[in-house]
Amino acid sequence: MKRTVIKRDGTEQPFRTQKIINAIFNIIQGLEVEDDYELVFLIMKELDLKVPERVTTEELDRLVLKAIEQLIPKHPVYDTLATRQLLKIINKDIDRRLDGFRDYLDQAFEQDLLDERLKEFDLDLLEDTLDFSRDGLLGYFGLTTLNDRYLMKNRDDQTIEKPQWFFMRVAMGIGNSNEEIVKMYNKLSNLEYLHSTPTLFNSGTTTSQYSSCYVSVIDDSLDSIMDKARETAFLAKYAGGVGTDVSRIRATGSNIKSLNAPSSGAIPFIKIFDTLVNSIQQGGRRRSSQVISMQPWHLDIDGFLDLRETTGNAYFRTPSLNTSIWMPDEMMRRIREGEPIYLFDPGECPELVDAVGDDFKKKYEKRIEQAEAGELKQYDKRDSKNFFKKYLFKLAKTGHPWLIFKDEHNRHNPCPQYSVINSSNLCTEISIPNRPDSTAVCTLASVNLSKHVKDDHSDIDWNKLEDTLETMTRGLDNILDKNFYPSEEARKNTMDLRPLGIGLMGFAEALVDLEIPYDSEEAVLLARKLGSFMREITYRTSQELAEERGAFAHYEEVKEEGNAYDYKPRRNAVLLAIAPTASISIISGTTSSIDSYFSNLYSRDTLSGKNIVINRQLIEDLEEKGQWSDDMAQKIKANNGSVQHIPELDGVIDKDLYKTAYEIHPNRQIDIAAAFQESIDQSVSKSLYIDERYRDDMEEIYLYAWEKKLKSTYYCFIDKVVKGEKYTEEVNKRGSRKGFGAAGASNGSTPKKKGDLENMDTNELEAKAREKFGDEAVEEALNADADSCPTDPMLRKICPSCE
Amino acid sequence: MSTKLIGRTSVRDNIKLSEDPSYPIFKELYEKQKKVIWFPEELNIQQDALDYHSLTEDEKRLFDTAVGYFCSSELLVQNVLVNSFFPLLTDPHAKMSFSTQLFMENIHSDFFEIVLQSFGMDREQMYDVAFSDPILRKKQSLIVDEIDKISHGKIDPESLEGQKQILRAILLNNIVLEGIFFYSSFAHFFALKDMAKMKNVVSGVELVLIDESLHLQNGIEAILIMLDENPEIVEDTEYVQDIRNVILEGTALEIEYVKHQFGDRTILGISSGEMVRYLKYITDRRLQELGFRQEFHVNENPLRFLQKEDVKKLINFFEVSSTEYTNY
Repeated sequence: MKRTVIKRDGTEQPFRTQKIINAIFNIIQGLEVEDDYELVFLIMKELDLKVPERVTTEELDRLVLKAIEQLIPKHPVYDTLATRQLLKIINKDIDRRLDGFRDYLDQAFEQDLLDERLKEFDLDLLEDTLDFSRDGLLGYFGLTTLNDRYLMKNRDDQTIEKPQWFFMRVAMGIGNSNEEIVKMYNKLSNLEYLHSTPTLFNSGTTTSQYSSCYVSVIDDSLDSIMDKARETAFLAKYAGGVGTDVSRIRATGSNIKSLNAPSSGAIPFIKIFDTLVNSIQQGGRRRSSQVISMQPWHLDIDGFLDLRETTGNAYFRTPSLNTSIWMPDEMMRRIREGEPIYLFDPGECPELVDAVGDDFKKKYEKRIEQAEAGELKQYDKRDSKNFFKKYLFKLAKTGHPWLIFKDEHNRHNPCPQYSVINSSNLCTEISIPNRPDSTAVCTLASVNLSKHVKDDHSDIDWNKLEDTLETMTRGLDNILDKNFYPSEEARKNTMDLRPLGIGLMGFAEALVDLEIPYDSEEAVLLARKLGSFMREITYRTSQELAEERGAFAHYEEVKEEGNAYDYKPRRNAVLLAIAPTASISIISGTTSSIDSYFSNLYSRDTLSGKNIVINRQLIEDLEEKGQWSDDMAQKIKANNGSVQHIPELDGVIDKDLYKTAYEIHPNRQIDIAAAFQESIDQSVSKSLYIDERYRDDMEEIYLYAWEKKLKSTYYCFIDKVVKGEKYTEEVNKRGSRKGFGAAGASNGSTPKKKGDLENMDTNELEAKAREKFGDEAVEEALNADADSCPTDPMLRKICPSCE
Repeated sequence: MSTKLIGRTSVRDNIKLSEDPSYPIFKELYEKQKKVIWFPEELNIQQDALDYHSLTEDEKRLFDTAVGYFCSSELLVQNVLVNSFFPLLTDPHAKMSFSTQLFMENIHSDFFEIVLQSFGMDREQMYDVAFSDPILRKKQSLIVDEIDKISHGKIDPESLEGQKQILRAILLNNIVLEGIFFYSSFAHFFALKDMAKMKNVVSGVELVLIDESLHLQNGIEAILIMLDENPEIVEDTEYVQDIRNVILEGTALEIEYVKHQFGDRTILGISSGEMVRYLKYITDRRLQELGFRQEFHVNENPLRFLQKEDVKKLINFFEVSSTEYTNY
């Protein structure tokens, strides 16, 4: 087969292997590799099958990328190469259209993509600050994700932003002065911290919507329900996730005064939101999402638990919504003690919604008395153990609803005079007082702890961490005044409370650097120390900000009224929230949030596709010990990414350092979250990873989470038992049975069909090939070395390197 | 009562489950299948509508044909099962395992039907594609014609000849159709997701794959058991050769099909060369699973992106439908 390359201008030239080889050598340049020829050979081998007869130069670049990408699980060096190749593609494409940073800005201003105010900064200075060598800090998955969704596109859907321009644009949308922008750019582009996805999308753009989440409250009226539907639509449109509390909506059968008819309850109304979010794509780049929260004493709770079931009446199912339970202590206590729980109608018992802690307990007990005395129109008495079991069954089956603790959230409410905290957000890290007329908003950023470990791996670099946390606090506070608020309720909450959400990612990666196993008391101690440090620094900064810019409005208000809070004035009511950092930890190439490594080898599904993630730290460790090989890679894969049961590694590496998520007992995962939670003023969003064998212990695990004073739990991952056939691994399904093999010698000898390539022996093949291609081509194939393998399948059959 | 897995049965037979099943493997496979039952409503297929309209022409053709192919083939599998060998299963656990497979095929039909409706695909064309496309027709005919012979003719399951025919039917259905043809199309779907396209539909296909790999095992087990119970079968070298050939014939047809589909282009980063090699790899596996020697000696899956299907998956569940939940 003769292959042709079609160049951009339409001219054609023969495909030349050497040219590609040179190009690959080019991207290897500067990398420390043992045998660059071997790299190139392997890539070429992958590539060869991919290149069709006619190929454009652009496609060829992409195929080279695909070829390298396939090799990533072999060694991290391919990850670096893939990153470089993708950068080359991105840069080549942009350079064809734009003449540098200034040209990009010009075009973006011209097309009304960037906020005019950015023009006021010293663009020459900022241009000089750009450091393209930092592209090298990005991993392949990170760069793919950036390229797919984060880098700005022009109105013709062409990418116009290089990664460093992107970091600069984000900084320019946050900093108030040139100095601040330079500082932020340096930290962002070094991946020392990142803002949440909506900020990265929209910072500095004409859609200046920086916030990740909104938390709203629906009142018990048709007016309020429809108002919130409208508000939700606009919040969702501008890329925010919405959390909505429906606990106030009266239960099925409750009387509607104006009609003197029974209500159909909360569930049908929730369905409205399901339809709504499904129809709105989050800024076109992320689908909009909403979580509906309900307190579990609500009479409609059974229907609520079933919302994510996949069978049953479609009108009572909400496949596009997430759900969470806002659980009071008194009910958890009853579950633990095995005392019955009672369900009520909030239409009849509205005081239960707002009541927290002991107040709730008192009011709840009073209603129970009334119920038992026959004084209530509606109620239901349940066995609490059965109820909890049923709930956990739904959680394991559908992943919903997740469990959040109402009273622990409210115990730490810094502004009880403003309102109670009515629910958390989608990712459960938010804990901000809100009301029907005041929708909580949170703007988030997370420090990348893996970039704050001292070079000698002896400790956290506390000074650097302090510097980063200060920068983040100031940056996030700046954002609140630049932010676009899609609803008046959202603006009000922010202006009253100025909440920030500073979190953390890369905790597990840092632990490995410090040689502390995640599953250890030492890790818990470090978590506690980090949480407390984060609180100290951010609170100090916020107090400084209060002196410069004033304290949050509600603080001043109650002070004037003579009911001042007993803490020092600060700029922000709350400052800390540990978010799951799903996307930004990918961009940073680190472990997400405070989670352990999910596995040492796994694939990750995101909107940007499916990527294989390998634990680079493990491979480096193994390499140092001379234990990394294809064979070892295969073993780790066969062990589902675990190293615990590979005997060759006993005593070679510290296996405890590389335990995967399901290998760490959920109680330890809870301990770590609880240690952070002690100092985090909002909440720690903690996903739990539960191995199949602990499934029967879920009741104890979730009770433990409550007793350890977690505010929130998040997604519950349960290891799946039945998997599909392994695609790339041999699995013996036959055992020792012979099957058709019992036929003995007769079976292997397939009769040779004429013209069937696979069945010819080499001599026959050679003769045939000489006939077809001439002697020269055949000689060449026979003597081929790795660099010049033939592409024709027939010639390949006789090429010693190919077979 | 027959002591063999396949035999003549009446409605009065095998209506009792035993605590000590004759074929424990089918009890196990039934349990596994039960655990993975899913419903198409779990996936938000509508989310992929925008994606669908941005597919290139080649990609769309590949996708459409694969969907159309599954639309009719899932039902075909049911027909084959019911009309040929299901009535001849003598073991209640085996029946439960295969009837669960039947039920799962419903789910798959349902799923592909929803896909078809979600993107406004041409229904007639989709259901016909497997028979109107000349190359696809050859694939379907290989299965259909052979099965017709079996189900329409009178088979005596108690005879060796009968056992051989049934074995062939199971082979065509569970190994060639589900184990080779389906696996070829799976790769097309997974390639789409690898390029970040049609993610929710492909999440569904991932679930289909899990199911099909269990069905494949149903077939392999049934065949191995039959061979065990009828040692005479493997003594018939001509028959053994014939079985091997029919597998290879299936592969040859599939190769013809992918060559035609991909031609001299790469689609989704895959070329026909890779697909061909992949099919040879899959075929070698199937052969070995039945005790045959390899034919092509392809020991490594050339479509390396498929290793993403082999490792644990972590999903941004708010972005893509999760396939990681089990039923209980």
